Order: sequence, then C-alpha cells, then structure tokens
Amino acid sequence: MGFLKSALWIALACTAALCLGAIATSRGESINSIWLVLAAVCAYLVAYRFYGAFIAARVMALNETRATPAERLENGHDYLPTNKWIVFGHHFAAIAGPGPLVGPVLAAQFGYLPGTLWIIAGAVLGGAVQDFVILFASMRRDGKSLGQMAREEIGKVGGFVALITVLMIMVILLAVVALVVVNALAGSPWGTFTIAATMPVAIFMGIYLRYLRPGKVLECSAIGFALVLAAVFGGQWVAGSSSLAPVFTLSAMAVAIAIIIYGFLASALPVWLLLAPRDYLSTFVKLGVIGMLAVGILVVRPQLEMPALTRFIDGTGPVFAGKVFPFCFITIACGAVSGFHSLISSGTTPKMIAREPHALPVGYGSMLLESFVAVMAMIASCALQPGVYFAVNAPAGIVGKTAAAATATISGWGFPVTADQMQTLAHNVGETTLFNRTGGAPSLALGMAHIFTGGSGGAVLGFWYHFAIMFEALFILTIIDAGTRVGRFMLQDLLGHVAKPLGRTSWMPGVIGTSAAVVAAWGYFLIQGVRDPLGGINSLWPLFGIANQLLAAIALSVATTILLKMHGAKFMWITCAPLAWLVTVTFSASWQKIWSPLPRIGFLAQADALKTGPAAFNARLDAVVCGTFMALVAVILIDSLRLWFGILWGARDRSVVEAPFVPTRLSAEEI
Amino acid sequence: MRKFLLGLIEMLREIGDQNAYARHLAEHGVGHSGAEWRKFCDERFRDKYQRAKCC
Repeated sequence: MGFLKSALWIALACTAALCLGAIATSRGESINSIWLVLAAVCAYLVAYRFYGAFIAARVMALNETRATPAERLENGHDYLPTNKWIVFGHHFAAIAGPGPLVGPVLAAQFGYLPGTLWIIAGAVLGGAVQDFVILFASMRRDGKSLGQMAREEIGKVGGFVALITVLMIMVILLAVVALVVVNALAGSPWGTFTIAATMPVAIFMGIYLRYLRPGKVLECSAIGFALVLAAVFGGQWVAGSSSLAPVFTLSAMAVAIAIIIYGFLASALPVWLLLAPRDYLSTFVKLGVIGMLAVGILVVRPQLEMPALTRFIDGTGPVFAGKVFPFCFITIACGAVSGFHSLISSGTTPKMIAREPHALPVGYGSMLLESFVAVMAMIASCALQPGVYFAVNAPAGIVGKTAAAATATISGWGFPVTADQMQTLAHNVGETTLFNRTGGAPSLALGMAHIFTGGSGGAVLGFWYHFAIMFEALFILTIIDAGTRVGRFMLQDLLGHVAKPLGRTSWMPGVIGTSAAVVAAWGYFLIQGVRDPLGGINSLWPLFGIANQLLAAIALSVATTILLKMHGAKFMWITCAPLAWLVTVTFSASWQKIWSPLPRIGFLAQADALKTGPAAFNARLDAVVCGTFMALVAVILIDSLRLWFGILWGARDRSVVEAPFVPTRLSAEEI
Repeated sequence: MRKFLLGLIEMLREIGDQNAYARHLAEHGVGHSGAEWRKFCDERFRDKYQRAKCC
C-alpha cells in the first residue's frame, strides 16, 4: 500500500475513532446527527477494507479463477453469473425489511448511544460476518440452503431444528410486523384509506402487467407509484370528509381483523394478481425512500434532541421493559445482526455470484448498508423532541389514558411535553391524536417527515408523515402476504409426512386448511398484542428479537463448524466471538422474559399478577414460546459443541464438503 | 455519471425481473408475447414466493 493510501486509511480510522469518541462522551447538550453519520461511514469503510478483506483473503481464500455455481450450473433461471453491483442491489433489496427501521426507533428509549454503538459494532463484527461466511459457504456448496448445510455440516438434528425454528420465527415475525401496521392505522382515516387504496392499485397493476402490457414491470411500477401517491393525497381529502372519515376510522381490533382476513385471502389468491406487483412496487419505493432519507439527513443534518443515555437504561422504560443489557441488543435486531439474512445469503444470492471475490461487497457490504439504514432510523427518531417521542411510543397502560395524564407523566420523567404541543403536531399531520401510537412506525414517520420538510414542519408535514406510513405499511403487508404463503408451504411440507394429500400444493382443501392454520397462528399473537394494555410491543418485539438473534446463532454455529473444518481452531474466533455474544445476550433476555419477578418483564410473573383469564393464558403462552426457542437453539449448540470438540480432539471427521474446483471460463467482459 | 445511471437502470430491471424475462426469451428462442410473459411469470413466481421475505 502506497504512502498516500496508507495516510488516507489512517485518516479514516482516526475520523471514525474521533466521531465515536465524540458521541460516546457527549453529555448534557444535543449533538448534530452528522457525527453519527461520519462515525458509521468511516467505521464501515475501515472494516470493509481491512476486516472484510482479511476474511476474504486469509480465511475464505476467495479465488478469482474458481468457477462459481452461477457459472458451472448456469440454467438461465436461478443460476446465472451476474454483475456484482446488480447482485449487490438484488441482495440488499432482499435483506432490507422493517426490522432495521423499527428496532432502532424502539431502542432509542435508552438514548442514541447504546443503540448506535451496537448497530455499528454488531454489523461490522457480527452481522456482516455472518452474512458473508454463509454466502461463501453456500457458494462453495452449489447454493445450498442454511437448513441443508446445517444437516450436512452438523447433523440431521440441526437441519430439522432449523426448519422448526424458522417456522416459529415466521409466526412471531408476521404478528409483530402486523401489530406495527395496526398501531399506525388505528383511528387514522388518512392512513387507513391510503393503505386500503394500495390493494386495488396492486390488483390493477397485476392485471396491467399480465394482460395489458405484459413484461413492462418498470413502467407498471411507475404507474403504481403515481397511483399510491394520489392515494396519499386522497387520504387527506378523506380525513377531511364528514361522510367518509368515519368509514375509514377503525379501532385497533378492526384493523387487526382486516389484516388477518387480508393475510388469508392474499396468500390464497394467485401470486400475479396482488403479491408480485406490490412486491415490485414496495421494493422500488423502499430503495427510493432509503436513498431519500440518506440525502435528507446529509442536507438537513438534524440535531439529536434525545440525550446520549436516558434514565431508562435501568429497565423501567415505557416503550418496552428491560435493562439496556440485554434488551437493547435484542431490540435492534436486524440493524446489527439478523438471522433471517442467512436465509437470503443461502438462497438466491449465491446462485448469482459470477466471481468468488464478489461475495465480499455482496455479503459483507450489503449488511453494512443495512446497518447504515438502522443508523438513519436512529437519527430520525432521536431528532424528535424526547417528550414527543415518548408520548407517541408509550402505551396508555404506562403513561395514562388522557392527554393531561400522559404529558404529566412524561414531563415528570424529565422530558417536557404539553398536551397543546401534541395536539398541534397531530393536527399538522392530519391525525386526531398521536398519543400511545406504539410500534415505532408513527414515530419513525414523524422523524422522517421532520427530515423531509427540512425540520421546518409546516403544511407538507402531513403529506410526508403519511407518505412514510404508506412506505412502511406497503412492504410490511408484502411480508405478511409472502410470509403466510411461505409458512403454508413449510407446514404443508411437514404435514405431508403425516398425510400425503396435505403436502400437495395443488390440493385446495390442504391449501385452505394450512393457510388458515398459519394465519390463525400469527393472528392469535396479533390479537393478543392489540388487547395488551402495555401495547403488545412490550411482549412481542422482544420475542421476535430473541427469535431472530437465535436464528443468527444457528447460522453462526454452521459458519463456525465450516471454519473449524477448513482451518482447525485458527480462525474459529471470527464467528465464535459473535456467536458467544449472541448466545449470552439471547439466553439472558429469554431467561429474564420467562423468569423475571417483575411483571412488566417476566411473562410468568405477569401471568401470576393477572391470575386468570385470556391475558394470563397469553403471558404463559409467550413464556412457553420463548422457552421453546431457547430449547431448540440449545439443541443445535450442544450438537455443534459435540462436533467441534470431536474435531479438535481428532475423533470426528473434519473433511470439507465443497464442490470440486473447476477453473472459470468467464472473461471479465462477460460479467 | 452516465455509467452509474445505466447501472442503476440495469439493477432496477434485474429487481423487476425484466432481465430474467429477456434471458428466458433468449434461452427458449422465442419472441415476446403475452402468453410467453405469463408462462415466464408462473414459473418464476412459483419459485420466488416459496422463500421467506426478510424482516
């Protein structure tokens, strides 16, 4: 490396250290968000250039001359050598979901510091490493899935447990993201109309794409985008109409039931009619809005009004209960480490990589970008006045049901806010109230609207708020639709072993029965969340976070096994260190969620406090679900540990089951 | 800048399955038609929506 290059990297490393130091030591006055942006970007660049490159060169020995499965097994469908930046975009679009947006918003109750540090460090040392190693392992094994690799590398038990874990996580994931939408739309005619209008828009797009202009996806998506923008404007008109506003003003329970019915119908409808066109649209909107938010933050450079640390690090937070350790790490979830990414990294992506070294920008780089999205969500939520943030995110069961009670409670915590201030803000965004809108989506939308209007608020604040709600709801509904469908396939796959007709995806009674079972499963948890006086998020988001991080633990166990077989103990620390951290965090959080004597944290204590009735049953059910997650992952960990010690002591076979080396025939011009 | 924009459009076409459709036509040696697009979609969506979407 030349002197100038070395100097540049040293300067970047120093800038990262300086900015991290500044945000870590700043107390008592607000700081500018640009410190967070610089800290994150410089840390990512240094990590990518040195840590990512080290893993690529020394650990994986990525080989430019080795043909990838995309080349060897090219079939024009799944396996296809593709330009690395196109694969990067494809992979990033696939991994970017609501998790990195909602998680940091909820974790902002601890202040911006703990969440931001974990988002950056977790992604660099854990999340990106997991995505990268699993992508590499799958690429060297002809694009095999995580479940297949778990079965082959660890054993049959691991593969089966991975399948069951994914199915259970899907149920909790669908319930919690549906709850986020419910809390954003309840009592909001503007939002409800806008989201309801996206259904006929998607169906129109489906028909347009299939029969009117077949194959014109970009054209169709542009029309769809214009129509959903019109729906956002139309929503304002509906909210102001004395006859239509009551029709679209729904209670939380009514919105939940509508989403459950929608989930069932959408998963049984032909894919081309609703799911596929909305998936195209939501992906393009998602990428566009993330880009807009990045530009908005750089242009506006908002001040962070939230302190670095709040009093709620002691576990008494109103958004969700639990101390900063371990709950901050569970709550951030996908912004730092996401087990779900390992399913994408061992799904479509390894079948598209043209050259092995492309796995570095695709696997490691995409996760760093996802982490930056989480930093932006943290900035958007911390740019709000803390009093406003807590008024929006705290449930009525904690702060009180009236505006006066809520503002008095929140001001008493040292975060001044008035009922008039909240009323004016609600009026400006076209809502009747912004109190107790738990779930993260409304406060994120407020933060984004604040940034998009340049911090000035004004008449367009309402448009941007509902635009952000539309953006979040659009891709959450796509996840619900696709997730219910996938859950149904997995259930049919399992039940097919018991009764063969149930396994056939063409047998309608089986399709309807398994769709109903999956919808009933996540619908049950959704209704439970809606009825919960603490807002539902307090119970369901930690469950989701624990489940997601435990899936990451499974992926890291597979990754560690592979590295152990490749190099012995030499490079195990690369995946073992994040694995040890995740196991510590998730098992601590799970233990507390089940056994803590505080009813706001411990499910069993909550059940004891409630004694009998549906709420007590639900709390016990949540404890059972949490315990089951722990048990499933413990099985995989014990299985893995047995194998690792066996390999280290020479008692077990450590041969690596990679596809044989074949030299590439692709020229640089072809990719 | 031009290269960046072309790359961006190419990426959007890939995400929108338009490139996959072009490859499908080339592979089967057929021209574009509504029926061919529907056949392509039915195959592609069957595989695409058997996979979970990320959170």
